[in-house]
Amino acid sequence: METLDIPLVNLAVAFLLLLIPVGISIKYGLKLIKPLFVSIVRMTIQLALIGVFLKYLFQWNNAFVNIGWLLVMIVVAVFSSVKSSSIKVSSIFLPAFISFSVATLTVVFFLNVFVVPVNSVFDARYLIVLGGMLLGNSLRGNIVGISTFYKRLKMDSNHYLYVLSLGATETEALMPYLRESVQLALKPTLASMATMGIVTLPGMMTGVILGGASPEVAIKYQIIIMIGIVTSTIASVVLTIVLTKRVCIDRYGVLRSDVFRKETPSRRKKL
Amino acid sequence: MSGTSAVIEFAGVNLSFSGKKVIDDLSLVINSGDKVVISGKSGCGKSSLLSLVLGFVKPDSGKVVFGGVAVDGKTAWNVRREIALIDQDVSLGSGSVESFLEFVSDLKVNAHLDFSPHKLMKFFHLQGILHKNLKDLSGGERQRLAIVVSVLLNRKVFFLDEVTSSLDANLKKKVADYFLKRDDWTCVIVSHDPVWLESPSVRVFDFEEKVWKH
Ligand SMILES: Nc1ncnc2c1ncn2[C@@H]1O[C@H](COP(=O)(O)OP(=O)(O)OP(=O)(O)O)[C@@H](O)[C@H]1O
Ligand SMILES: [Mg+2]
Repeated sequence: METLDIPLVNLAVAFLLLLIPVGISIKYGLKLIKPLFVSIVRMTIQLALIGVFLKYLFQWNNAFVNIGWLLVMIVVAVFSSVKSSSIKVSSIFLPAFISFSVATLTVVFFLNVFVVPVNSVFDARYLIVLGGMLLGNSLRGNIVGISTFYKRLKMDSNHYLYVLSLGATETEALMPYLRESVQLALKPTLASMATMGIVTLPGMMTGVILGGASPEVAIKYQIIIMIGIVTSTIASVVLTIVLTKRVCIDRYGVLRSDVFRKETPSRRKKL
Repeated sequence: MSGTSAVIEFAGVNLSFSGKKVIDDLSLVINSGDKVVISGKSGCGKSSLLSLVLGFVKPDSGKVVFGGVAVDGKTAWNVRREIALIDQDVSLGSGSVESFLEFVSDLKVNAHLDFSPHKLMKFFHLQGILHKNLKDLSGGERQRLAIVVSVLLNRKVFFLDEVTSSLDANLKKKVADYFLKRDDWTCVIVSHDPVWLESPSVRVFDFEEKVWKH
């Protein structure tokens, strides 16, 4: 079964739908037209470029190139999750990169070797699509997890120091913050898993079904993807915190102030 | 235990925060069994003095010694196990009083302790708070709970940073007597309260002039 291709003219017609939000925005003065326009243009251009790029990537299907592209995706994911924490990117980029790579590659290779009967574990279709799926979906969790950990630790520093004064080891003192961050990071994933199929018909499934596979196949893929997402989210949040704390916490067990970004007034207002 | 061995020693200690000098060339010795009251105006660095010993802040220069060992990134962890601190903000955290007590007694360092708070809680008029949330306690209740915990830790050195500020006259007296009557305890007390300052058993260190008053 082949997916129905959409002729370019028809694609253009789809853009006509946007007349509705534009009309609403004008009628109620929502000032949405400009941000909407910018986002639509960006999305279209990015997807067009990536479409061409992926076409050649799939045609070429070279193991090294595939791994290389996966690493590029990891770098971008690391940047976006580190950037939204209050820690300087330069101080924790490397440990975060290591942790994201370990978490993503482990899950992807496990799935490709033991679960999906692919010919080559480096096959572009499965390596890049699965890897991208994992990264994209664990990204939000990672952003929440990493920034919560350091934000709470800093806000709560008096209590943290009090616990150290009680004679706690570093692990004992940090454990409550680690636990809280991971739980918070995982909350949306767990919630969407619990309602999956009923409330959410996720992108992966839609894609596979539109791609011509039967719903049974789509569901199997969805199940392995969700297991992969939970695994890589927990692993990467915990690993990132464990690895970055060596940089952000000194030998005295005290949070270093020089790893935090200087907050400019404008940044603060935005938060 | 001899009453004259040095427990804490500051030798030419300088401390500044982002360029602003807070402690200037301080030298000070506190002996075993001493009851020392540190006095001085707000912001002059009294709490920072305690933080230096615990390794929470590091001196720009000079040496901080505890029990004959210089405080550094390695030794600070042991120093903290010898001192019972009550910080000025009484930062006990959140959650129920019971779970807080459990957290403290579950720490590895406290594994050997007989951690039963009931008698002391009664002594400091803290009956019936076990199931309350720490955030719902009054300032004075929190201070007394922190005092109870500090005693249960079974340590010999106490850092008491403004621990009587929210207590009534009766309780102030009760707390001060409790700490001052123990000859084997070394207490470093930060306070403006006459209940400590005017007690005959303390030595007062004027932190602004860097001199002993009596
Ligand atoms: N971690 C820190 N970072 C930056 N500045 C600090 C820090 N801790 C203390 N300071 C500054 O150092 C000075 C001394 O603070 P400290 O808390 O030691 O004063 P204090 O004598 O205990 O005052 P108070 O009687 O009001 O409690 C203050 O100006 C304070 O703002
Ligand atoms: Mg103070």
